[in-house]
Amino acid sequence: MKNSETVPQPETRPGVATAEAGVVILEGPDGVAVTMTPDAAIGTGQSLLSAAETARSQTRHEGADV
Amino acid sequence: MFTERFLRDRRGIDLDPAERAILEAAIIEVRTVGPRETIVQAGERLELSTLLIEGFMSRYIDDRRGLRQLVAVHVPGDFVDLHAYPLKTLDHDVATMTAATVAIVPHTALDRIKTETPALIVKLWFATLIDAAIHRAWLFRLGRLDALGRVAHFLSETNARLVSAGLSDGRRFALGLTQYDLAEICGLTSVHVNRIMRQLREERLCTFRSSLVEIPDPERLARRGQFDPAYLYIAPALAPGEPSEAQQ
Repeated sequence: MKNSETVPQPETRPGVATAEAGVVILEGPDGVAVTMTPDAAIGTGQSLLSAAETARSQTRHEGADV
Repeated sequence: MFTERFLRDRRGIDLDPAERAILEAAIIEVRTVGPRETIVQAGERLELSTLLIEGFMSRYIDDRRGLRQLVAVHVPGDFVDLHAYPLKTLDHDVATMTAATVAIVPHTALDRIKTETPALIVKLWFATLIDAAIHRAWLFRLGRLDALGRVAHFLSETNARLVSAGLSDGRRFALGLTQYDLAEICGLTSVHVNRIMRQLREERLCTFRSSLVEIPDPERLARRGQFDPAYLYIAPALAPGEPSEAQQ
């Protein structure tokens, strides 16, 4: 088996965030299990959205180079 | 007999009555310890090792902020800090989780066993190798499993270990731990553990109330936690969980 088949891969399914007792629990993708204050959750959400946009543009540019 | 649970019902190893008697004679003191007491601190020089007779103990490491990661939980029959015999100092603290009864074995007695009964020393070594196998399973749990899987794996593992110690019937056992303990074991917040326990209850996988754990279907809980008891080297007929080929 090649190493590339056993190392963790980018997740294609999103994690799920829920509110519980005044905090936000993020479960998944994969083994992610983290609890955040509402402010930390908002900051994480904004950072994820921004990084996702950047990642999409990186994929488009890579496609253009081929 | 204080050593009756040590390596009880393990696959591939058996302490004969003479060996158990030698181990029994090596005990110089039996003491009771209150809950949440640190009995070994990282770095201190050790000349004694501790066999857990009753109760639960843990090994733990605190981070710079004082947040705790439990790196092992010990059940009755475990030789908690046998590693200290060759190492002389430990890299982690050892504490009781519940009130506990422990037997103290001086390293000088282990020296004598090493000289006079080398086969028994190999069996003591076997016990520390099981500890190492449990550590590998804990790494897998934290590295690969989701929150519910981590708790399911821990409860399945504890059930299997307690079956081997004669303290679980395979579906029901006393566990004097708190949700904070489970949080420190599974790397989760207590709010998250609370939610997971509710989920386990709603999915009829497990209930944990008043220090009593009930597992209606141990194989289903084991599947959810990807728990395979092979690494515990428990006699196959006793090991609840998903049996692997290694266990046959």
